[in-house]
Amino acid sequence: MLRRAFTAMGTDIEVLLDADPGERAERALDRAEAEFERLEQVMSRFRDDSELSRLNREGSIAEASPDLVRVVELSLEARDATEGRFDPTVHDAVVAAGYDRTFDAVAPATIADPVEAPARCGGAVHVTGPTIELEPGIRLDLGGIGKGYAADRVAELLAVAGPCLVNAGGDIAVRGGSWPVGVTDEITLELTRGGLATSGRDRRRWLRNGEEQHHLIDPATGLPAAGTPIRVTVVADSAAAAEVAAKTAFLGGTVDLPQVVVTAEGTTVLAGGLA
Amino acid sequence: MTDTSHRLYAVVIAVVVFFLSWAAVAAKPWATAKPDPRLAALAQREQRLRYDAKLVQQVVDNRMVAYRMALKARKAQIASIKAQAAAAQARALQVSQSTAQASQSSQSPAASSVRVVNLPPLTITRTS
Repeated sequence: MLRRAFTAMGTDIEVLLDADPGERAERALDRAEAEFERLEQVMSRFRDDSELSRLNREGSIAEASPDLVRVVELSLEARDATEGRFDPTVHDAVVAAGYDRTFDAVAPATIADPVEAPARCGGAVHVTGPTIELEPGIRLDLGGIGKGYAADRVAELLAVAGPCLVNAGGDIAVRGGSWPVGVTDEITLELTRGGLATSGRDRRRWLRNGEEQHHLIDPATGLPAAGTPIRVTVVADSAAAAEVAAKTAFLGGTVDLPQVVVTAEGTTVLAGGLA
Repeated sequence: MTDTSHRLYAVVIAVVVFFLSWAAVAAKPWATAKPDPRLAALAQREQRLRYDAKLVQQVVDNRMVAYRMALKARKAQIASIKAQAAAAQARALQVSQSTAQASQSSQSPAASSVRVVNLPPLTITRTS
């Protein structure tokens, strides 16, 4: 079992490859790392020269890369399928909540900015071929689904070298093999295909004007979601789909997929066919 | 002079007549030509070879007929096996589709890819 850990997309990445050690396997792991770097350069909102930053700055982009187009399309499909619970247009709301820089920079500080009015979510986004246009005043945050998409893409790349698992900060994609994944201290799920993701308010949280904030915005209010479980882990056919489903379930939507929910009271509940 | 010339002509004619007679006698027109035994042997050999060739052709024709019949039977056998295999595949597909439909109606596709285990985790998921 080969393991490589590195940092990309503002989170810890772990890649497991069930292959004999050697030059071929090392090349595959190198490709995996390079692919994360490439996709971060496409979808990061923290890099000024990324494609997403250019789109958010200029409101449109004429020759977007196929990856950006695909992730935006996936996000919009998810927005329709979840009746707006998952929404990529929460960028300004996340920034208004104080998550306006990489989380490493946000977390240590207690932000004491004046509280802004809730940002508007749900604006129009048009994708026509390689052209993406945003409604004026709307910006995209592809952080969650982008990590899931990247995990799926890298797992596809690695699969030629052997059974693999890609863990992008909790968004997990597997191809081949059986992979025990720890969900809580007591529960381990064995995943044989597809993906798994966790959404919650137990991490990526910070204090602003003395109030705890977290990064999961409810698009209906434009504010960090309240009255939610602590966290939800969902298994789906891909990491990107699991990410969407986990966020939807976290925000109270109905998700008919295997899931582990840690309720606000701290009780762990298995649902969706898990027992 | 005239006598000498006449004598000379007479001698020449006599010589010519002599040689013509010699040639005629030497040709033995009264004798019948005997057949060459080598030609006869060759003709005999040719006849024998023609007979052998006919025998070989008959054997080849018989074998060809037998081969064509065996080929036809084999093709029929292969077609039958293929038809049986296709029927079996169609039945298997039908069964798997109905199984998949039954499984889909009872649980989501993702449910078949995951189960709770009591193993040490290789990695952990957390809020992304």
